Amino acid sequence: MSCPKTQHLLQEYFSDDLAPLAREEIGNHLNSCEQCSNELEALLFAQSNLQKWQEQQVPHWDRGLELFRREHRSGNFRSGFWSRWQWLPTAASFAMLGILLLNVSVTSNQQGFSLSFGAGSGNSEQFDVQLSEFQARQQNEMEALITRVEDRLDSNSIQLLQAVMDQTQQSTAENLDRIYAFFEQQRIRDLEDMRVGYQELVDSDYETIRSLQQLAQFVSYQGTVR
Amino acid sequence: MSLINEDEALIAAALKGSAYAWEKLVKRYESRVYNHGLRLTGNSSDAMDLMQEVFLGVYRNLHRFRGDAKFSSWIFRIAHNKAVDMNRRKRLMTLQSKSGDQDERDIFEQIASYSHDEPDARLSSEELNSQIVKMLSILPLDQRLIVELKVFQSQTFEEIADMQDISVNTAKTRFYTALKKLKVVLEENHVLP
Ligand SMILES: [Zn+2]
Repeated sequence: MSCPKTQHLLQEYFSDDLAPLAREEIGNHLNSCEQCSNELEALLFAQSNLQKWQEQQVPHWDRGLELFRREHRSGNFRSGFWSRWQWLPTAASFAMLGILLLNVSVTSNQQGFSLSFGAGSGNSEQFDVQLSEFQARQQNEMEALITRVEDRLDSNSIQLLQAVMDQTQQSTAENLDRIYAFFEQQRIRDLEDMRVGYQELVDSDYETIRSLQQLAQFVSYQGTVR
Repeated sequence: MSLINEDEALIAAALKGSAYAWEKLVKRYESRVYNHGLRLTGNSSDAMDLMQEVFLGVYRNLHRFRGDAKFSSWIFRIAHNKAVDMNRRKRLMTLQSKSGDQDERDIFEQIASYSHDEPDARLSSEELNSQIVKMLSILPLDQRLIVELKVFQSQTFEEIADMQDISVNTAKTRFYTALKKLKVVLEENHVLP
């Protein structure tokens, strides 16, 4: 005799999120209905047979690295320009230490950064003022720099795209769109990381820099700096 | 960035062009995807093809990955679609085509006898796996995929239903139907001399 509940009951038995009450009901029926419990046992047995699978090792393959490198290399400026880009926060941090220790000021123009060496400062109040002025100035410089880099990246993306297309010999519009979208995404991310990185640097290093500045102050009184 | 989710860190780095991060990301999942392919296609060359297509898909769409789903679920969604595509191009794992050397009945007898005894040392892992593959090969691809995703990849019926564009109930029914078929095969072949 076949139990009318079997299919529905067992289907629910394998559910992911069975309410405790429903689970209890199923359990009660299984306890009282031999047909359903035998059927369940057989299904679990079939499932357990599958689970005897022995993990096989993946044969050697290149993991898509060739494609990855090809699409991310694309001329010199990818490794040149983009890796220099990663340096910017570090460079900014050095520049800040430079101004504090040696009174160097950093300005940026179309050609890049330029450094100038200022006269020594008198006392630490003055230094504090200089420090906050410096921070404000540097932040402005950085914003200006980011804007300029952004413009340059736009044209770079197009060149990059062209280089990729030349290499892959696939010039369908769909591919172009896909690759362009990919780089666009990356460009935005990099810019965002850059902004965040610089802000974090400014926030976190302020105190460190202040104490280094005190040290520099002390050293300069000893006449060993400059 | 939180250090909790290594996948996301690797994805971010790979998107920035780190080949090392990309390789590490692939290494984390290649075995799961390859074994998934073996069970779906029944042979290593199709499994390799499928795996490479899956990771190409992952690479092409990596920038679209949002952290709202687990990366593994996302990968198996891609794998699901690639398997369906592949099956359209050439039928994956039809019973008669793959096994010229062995009689079907022998194979199922072996499964059945193996299953009923304690673990049989005579069976190598390849033999055991090929028996599991033969068992799965009786299922049409949609059911095979559900069994695979449920039993091996621990996906929820909701995730599976979403992938196959069916209702959660239909997914449950398909899973139940598939298990029933596997059960019948095991029983029939155990009863046979
Ligand atoms: Zn019943």
